[in-house]
Amino acid sequence: MIEYGTTPQQLGMVAVTQRKHASMNERAMMRTPITIEDYFNSRMIAEPFRLLDICLETDGGCAVVVTSAERAREMKHRPVYIMGAAIGSGPHPTPYGMSTFGWLRGSHTELYGKHISPQLYGMAGVTPKDIDLAELYDEMSIAVLVQLEDFGFCQKGEGGPFVEEGRIEIGRELPVNTHGGFLSEGYLHGLNHVAEAVSQLRGDAGERQAKDAEIALCTSLGMQAGSALILRR
Amino acid sequence: MSEYKKPLPTPDIETKEYWQGCKRHELLIQRCKDCGTYRFPPMPMCPECNSMNGEWTKVSGRGRVYSWFVVHYATHPDFVDEVPYAVVLVELDEQANVRIPSNMVDCKIEDIKAGMPVEVVFEDVTDEISLPKFRPVR
Repeated sequence: MIEYGTTPQQLGMVAVTQRKHASMNERAMMRTPITIEDYFNSRMIAEPFRLLDICLETDGGCAVVVTSAERAREMKHRPVYIMGAAIGSGPHPTPYGMSTFGWLRGSHTELYGKHISPQLYGMAGVTPKDIDLAELYDEMSIAVLVQLEDFGFCQKGEGGPFVEEGRIEIGRELPVNTHGGFLSEGYLHGLNHVAEAVSQLRGDAGERQAKDAEIALCTSLGMQAGSALILRR
Repeated sequence: MSEYKKPLPTPDIETKEYWQGCKRHELLIQRCKDCGTYRFPPMPMCPECNSMNGEWTKVSGRGRVYSWFVVHYATHPDFVDEVPYAVVLVELDEQANVRIPSNMVDCKIEDIKAGMPVEVVFEDVTDEISLPKFRPVR
């Protein structure tokens, strides 16, 4: 907000869009659609963040089966392939658990994604333009904006307008958190993002199916460090 | 002074000098004796050159508000009566990436601005502990 003029309205549209997606997801904890007025009426928790900017608390389970491509072909379900994976943090992790105190020293608007993107896209042999949908770690609304920028879907500081223009909705340029994410489906630490990407790539996502979904990005983070996967059908 | 009921820092091997400085109303920051880089929070190794050769240095206590947020929901019971209150991250004049999280005094929440010049003041909350806080430079 200080560096790029990101607005509360832009943060709110992350929550509104993801709730819209969750309304089509029978597994989601929060399925009742919300408006931007509902967002502004939700109580302040840690200003500028309101209740609806913050993830749910969830008791739940989630599993994925990982095997060789060869074995996967013999299995009952249509396989989804891992094109690339990367893990890392910023250039100056402190001695305290990767970069727990990174926010005292590093950028607040450029996180792990910026640093692992080259390795991730390089391994997968694709560019951000090839990604059909993204399931982005959304412990807070702001994390979606920062990752849209860090993973190359827009320029630094343009994540807010990207969301406000509706470009992360299912049916638009880059569907994001098609299950509702942590804000509306539930907080399963990112594995539910992988499960959702797999459903989408298999064409099993029902009412919320993103059209022609071939390649998906899934991310996970903790403070300034994080990891990401690129999957394809 | 003994009425202070909120949680207190526990000085340890890494932070003892820092809190002793606060008690004397001096802001001390670790500085690498090899490359000259300041570092915070207290830690045994320089994050720039990995040297273990450091020293505590008195700094000006002046800086600017790098960022802030306002707590409306107290997650700790001892802070319930305090909300809403602001947590500021002050970047010290000595070095761009040395930032201290603290609170403002003599400043209304709505008057906090990014980049505003501030200076340290010490609140003596117990006989042993003084907390570094910041106020606008007038």
